[in-house]
Amino acid sequence: MVEFRLPKNSTVGKGRIFTAAPGATNVKNFRIYRWSPDDDKNPVVDTYEIDLDKIGPMVLDALIHIKNDVDSTLTFRRSCREGICGSCAMNIAGENTLACLKPIRDIEGDIAIYPLPHMPVIKDLVPDLDGAYAQLRSIDPWLKSDTLPPPDSERRQSIEERAELDGMWECILCFCCSTSCPSYWWNGDRYLGPATLLAAYRWIADSRDEHAGDRLDALEDPLKLYACRTIMNCTQTCPKGLNPAKAIGRIKELQLERKA
Amino acid sequence: MSNLKKPHVTVMRSQLSRARGLGSGQAGVGHWWAERASAVALVPLSGWFVIQVFRLAGASQPEVAKWGARPLNTTMMLSLVILTFYHTQLGLQVIIDDYVHGKAHLPAGLLMKGIVFLLGLFGTVSVLKLALAGSSRGRIAAG
Repeated sequence: MVEFRLPKNSTVGKGRIFTAAPGATNVKNFRIYRWSPDDDKNPVVDTYEIDLDKIGPMVLDALIHIKNDVDSTLTFRRSCREGICGSCAMNIAGENTLACLKPIRDIEGDIAIYPLPHMPVIKDLVPDLDGAYAQLRSIDPWLKSDTLPPPDSERRQSIEERAELDGMWECILCFCCSTSCPSYWWNGDRYLGPATLLAAYRWIADSRDEHAGDRLDALEDPLKLYACRTIMNCTQTCPKGLNPAKAIGRIKELQLERKA
Repeated sequence: MSNLKKPHVTVMRSQLSRARGLGSGQAGVGHWWAERASAVALVPLSGWFVIQVFRLAGASQPEVAKWGARPLNTTMMLSLVILTFYHTQLGLQVIIDDYVHGKAHLPAGLLMKGIVFLLGLFGTVSVLKLALAGSSRGRIAAG
């Protein structure tokens, strides 16, 4: 059955409070989920009082400040700090997004920061995405063509054919969408999730790809594809402003189209 | 070597093997489409039914029986009842797929389909009874 309550070893307790330096005037509280695999303790939420005058404008700036100057044990992924690598995907103020693209001033009151929901946690804000990456791998996210490319040039597309890929090639695979989806929470072992289905449609829609039928065959499954219940959390949460729900809808339309 | 007790690992199957699972079930399109088609069909049928209920408000038993005996009304009522319960089992199956996992999944679906089938059949028999009772005019008039 579906889990409506957290397992006993996952219930979150109160953690430590790191007070701001005396004299700080522009203080905001960051309440951050902490869990370490190195002891048998339950997760806790630590509170960091941060002087916003000392840091940059984004949530990631606050996290980096905490790691550098307050508490070096805080663990999170980050790399590009400009929304193109997808590493710093996490749940900020109840919404999956990229810490590097989320301005602190957009959030009223304390800022709660948790790892991406319903994934195994490796440590603190670092989720285990191995299953999600394997699902992406399972849809063969690369060009499959039996026609050899011209020997002296690239495979060509019309401007219209290229436009079909807009809204899909921009995906950075941060998995904010998949981990915001209740269907993925309940059936993530079999439902592929919006990020992988968006990637699948990206290749189905590519005019240079010659295996759309095989791709649709592989997706035609009550759970792999049809566990999508059109909840639309994916589209609402995407930090890149993409529309995975629309891509899933297009796959369902094509599944129907080829039946008649 | 360390004398720390190592946890027993039960799953060493690769992530890719787990993601691919048993492959595609080659199903789902029919269910998905039937759910939508029946939903669209139920919009006019339900609207018609609501209008009829308002028209029949305050009518006597023989008047309702006469209404139910008309072939057009019987056809519409049977369409409404059959499609409603067909759509119900499609929708409940989705909920069971979402929330009931493992060994309980199959029996839960069977139980649900059995109950919905019986309820639908009960509705169908009721509509037919109304339709056929109305045809025996003498008996109704005699009370």
